[in-house]
Amino acid sequence: MTLLQQFILPRLLQWVIVIVVGITITFLIPRLSPVNPIQQALARLTQFQALEPEAVLQLKEQLMANYGLEGSIVEQYFRFWGNLLGGDLGPSFGAFPQRVNDMIGRALPFTVALLTFTTIMGWIIGIIVGTLAAYYPGRLTNLVAGVMIVVYPVPYFIIAFIFLMVFTYYIPFFPLIGVFRGEPFEAEFIATYLHSTFLPAVTLLITGLSFRFIMARALGTAELSSDHVQYATMAGLPDNRLMYSYVARNTMLPQVTDLGLSMGAIFSGTLITEAVFGYPGLGDLLLQAIYQADYNVVMGITLLSIVGIATASLIVDLSYPLVDPRVRYR
Amino acid sequence: MFRKLILVAIALMVLVPALNVTAQPSGLPVDVPREELFVMDQIFRWSVIDNYNVWGPASGTPHRHALMFETLWYLDQETGNIMSGASNEPPVYNDDYTQMTVTLVDSLKWSDGEAFNADDLVYTVETVWNTPELSFGGWHAQFADFLESVEKVDDHTVTFTLNRPAPRFHKNFEARWAGLYMMPEHAFSQIEDLVNYTYQDGPYLGLYAPVEMDPNGFWNLFKKRDDPQNTAVCQYHMNEDCGPGYVLTILYGDSTKKVIAMTRGELDAFMNVDFEAFESLLASTPTAKSWYPEFPWAYPNETSSRLIRFNFDTHEWTNNKDVRWALALSLDIVQLQTEYIGGVAKVVYVNVPYTPKLAELYYNHPRMQEWVENLEIDVAGEPYKPYDGTVADRIGEWADEQGYAQPAETAAASYGSGWWKYDTDTAAKLLEHNGYTRDGNGDWFTPEGERFSFSIQAAPDEVDSFRVANAAADMWNDFGIDVELQGLERSVWSANFETGQFETDAPWLSFVLPDGDGWPQMRSYHSKYYVPAPELHNALGGGTPARLVDPVLDELIDAMESLHPQDPQNLELVHQYLQHWVENMYYISTVSFKKFVTWNELYWTNPPSAENDVYMPLYWFQGGRFSIGGLESLGG
Repeated sequence: MTLLQQFILPRLLQWVIVIVVGITITFLIPRLSPVNPIQQALARLTQFQALEPEAVLQLKEQLMANYGLEGSIVEQYFRFWGNLLGGDLGPSFGAFPQRVNDMIGRALPFTVALLTFTTIMGWIIGIIVGTLAAYYPGRLTNLVAGVMIVVYPVPYFIIAFIFLMVFTYYIPFFPLIGVFRGEPFEAEFIATYLHSTFLPAVTLLITGLSFRFIMARALGTAELSSDHVQYATMAGLPDNRLMYSYVARNTMLPQVTDLGLSMGAIFSGTLITEAVFGYPGLGDLLLQAIYQADYNVVMGITLLSIVGIATASLIVDLSYPLVDPRVRYR
Repeated sequence: MFRKLILVAIALMVLVPALNVTAQPSGLPVDVPREELFVMDQIFRWSVIDNYNVWGPASGTPHRHALMFETLWYLDQETGNIMSGASNEPPVYNDDYTQMTVTLVDSLKWSDGEAFNADDLVYTVETVWNTPELSFGGWHAQFADFLESVEKVDDHTVTFTLNRPAPRFHKNFEARWAGLYMMPEHAFSQIEDLVNYTYQDGPYLGLYAPVEMDPNGFWNLFKKRDDPQNTAVCQYHMNEDCGPGYVLTILYGDSTKKVIAMTRGELDAFMNVDFEAFESLLASTPTAKSWYPEFPWAYPNETSSRLIRFNFDTHEWTNNKDVRWALALSLDIVQLQTEYIGGVAKVVYVNVPYTPKLAELYYNHPRMQEWVENLEIDVAGEPYKPYDGTVADRIGEWADEQGYAQPAETAAASYGSGWWKYDTDTAAKLLEHNGYTRDGNGDWFTPEGERFSFSIQAAPDEVDSFRVANAAADMWNDFGIDVELQGLERSVWSANFETGQFETDAPWLSFVLPDGDGWPQMRSYHSKYYVPAPELHNALGGGTPARLVDPVLDELIDAMESLHPQDPQNLELVHQYLQHWVENMYYISTVSFKKFVTWNELYWTNPPSAENDVYMPLYWFQGGRFSIGGLESLGG
């Protein structure tokens, strides 16, 4: 009862508050943008047409009705919550009458697959290699560390662009955009998916891995000089046990936090990688929605992101005592 | 175990793509023999998937309307001529323009074999007229505003009765970008909810039908109909089997990726790239060419032009004609056109692009020529002739110095009209006459003693406009005015001009249509649509971001309204409008549109070009259908 009341319930309440406040801000911010969705749609629908001014006014009214932008902002806000609780994110303005749920549903698997894989792989490889580098300092590990330190500050879009030029132009081995053939889970789809996703995945993996490597190496190095590791070393414990049980495990707390928050953030997509490699994820969808003042799409993706990060924080918070027994609720 | 898993994952990532590449050497997403497939640059990513209902608000129509749909006439931007669609005769109006009669071609069929006839046109107009949700193109609103009735006279004749004189009512069915798309009455009359109908299975009146689409919107595959001889495109080309068997539209992305795709043989035509990317394409792909085989390469005749616009509503200094002229005279147009635009766009002194037809109607028309050569402005009480007719020749000399081989046509045909003298002494006199002062560093100060400074806003993704703004800012700063260039993302830039939050900016527009008519483009400048900033400039339906109020323009616009576009009196009024505009230097016009519309003649040949200039190469417009239908296979 004490655990539930003093540790779990406050965190759940905090989670609910973060989400409600976050969603409210998400509702308001696009409406503060100078970009007017009706004007955007008008320009798109009447491109190069010379309309009568009266016809322009009539079209504007029609668009307001289509997009559900009639009424005061308070009315829109409550209508938005009503739809949201019913699981409906409304229609897209830029791709009317498509539902935002469908558009996100199409982009989400691509983003989740790419970022889950690259985040977890980068995390695992980074921690293992980084901890090894801390534990076994030498020429090879110093060389690896040097490479990682050089790679880490390079913006990932520069790496993406270099890969694009090298592997689509000079060595035209990969497609220029995501080319996915066949139905999901069929062999052809899997093959084309891996082919198309290889470059964006490697780009993200390299940048994620270098950060985790540097972090794991620094944490491991600090842990090696701690009293309990020194004592265990003098006690003659085997290397494997020393490294896994005394060094690696004691560096895990910040690593788990990092993994949790990174996993939560995958719902934001990875905009530049998607743009460079023509990958159909959430990032590109969000960018187009911002350009078009497509409030509902912006809100839908931001909503995912808020829920993702808040939930990840909650899980990380709740799992601390499991990872590190020294952590106890107060 | 863990390490083994990682190794297996990495091995899979490397090996599977390798296996896949051997099976699919092309980066194209479709299984169609390359010699039957024409691949063209898709100008944006589709967000509405597998929905070909182009009448509803869902619509994005580029490419599709050229391939799948039909309207009555096409206004070609290269020639200014009307090309036949579902009608091959001009519309006939009664004397007071309250009735329009249209005669349809009797040889067109829908892709299911049904004949196209007057029932289809009447059904289309009535359906759009009666369905506000079918709002694309504004046709519903136009019909609601003008139409009294539409009636079938016989199988191929339809009469429209209008509620007031409307000599341009036929423009609703005349595609510059798009004309009202015909609906198949025999099929659509069976559909209950036409607004939400996705129209994936036809029948279509155009040459192509969609067969496959990327669920992510990057590409769309179209197949030629089995009966191409029954389409307007093949009948125009007098070829019973015109056009490639398949057309793939595909979005690769920015200039770099388009050039790489064309180099890889995975793209046959693209809409545009920046100058530097085009140069690298020429170096790597000898089969690629744009409009001219040599300098200035790019297609120069899309009907629009770049300019510098003033906001007359919120900044007092913009309302001083002398200051506007001083700004024009302190720009070196030759330097702007060569160093900033690369020499590849035509100079214009007013917002009329220098296409062959429009040059004849405006720049080379004796009335306009005489006027501009003798134009005088008042400079501190002295008359001054600002026109410099040597601009095109000087650009030609610059091109010679660069070692470019040039087209055989005249310098004006390649580089456009004359422009205003680069005369900073006269510009200084104009400013000083209006109380502006200059300090020892050459910096200008307003009559109130403040530093003369202003901003110019432009969208960097509209490359030539941004470069025009950049050139102007550089030159005005050199002249001693403190000008800040603000590069804004396009939607923010447009939001700013819509609400009057700018001093000057660099947009693009044309005062006339490709056939020379001005009223449809000019009427928004009527002061009855004026609203003050920050209200939306089109709050009353018309209106322009400049928020200009000028009774002379109002009178000219009113006089044009009741005249037929081809009435000689209409042309005279447009001339007067342009002259008044220039005398007041309301906008500083700079160059026409140019686009590096580029074709790689590796698999397909006979695209429109300077040597084959029968129609425009703008394949994403509805009239682009002629350029696609005219392609001939090189056999792969």
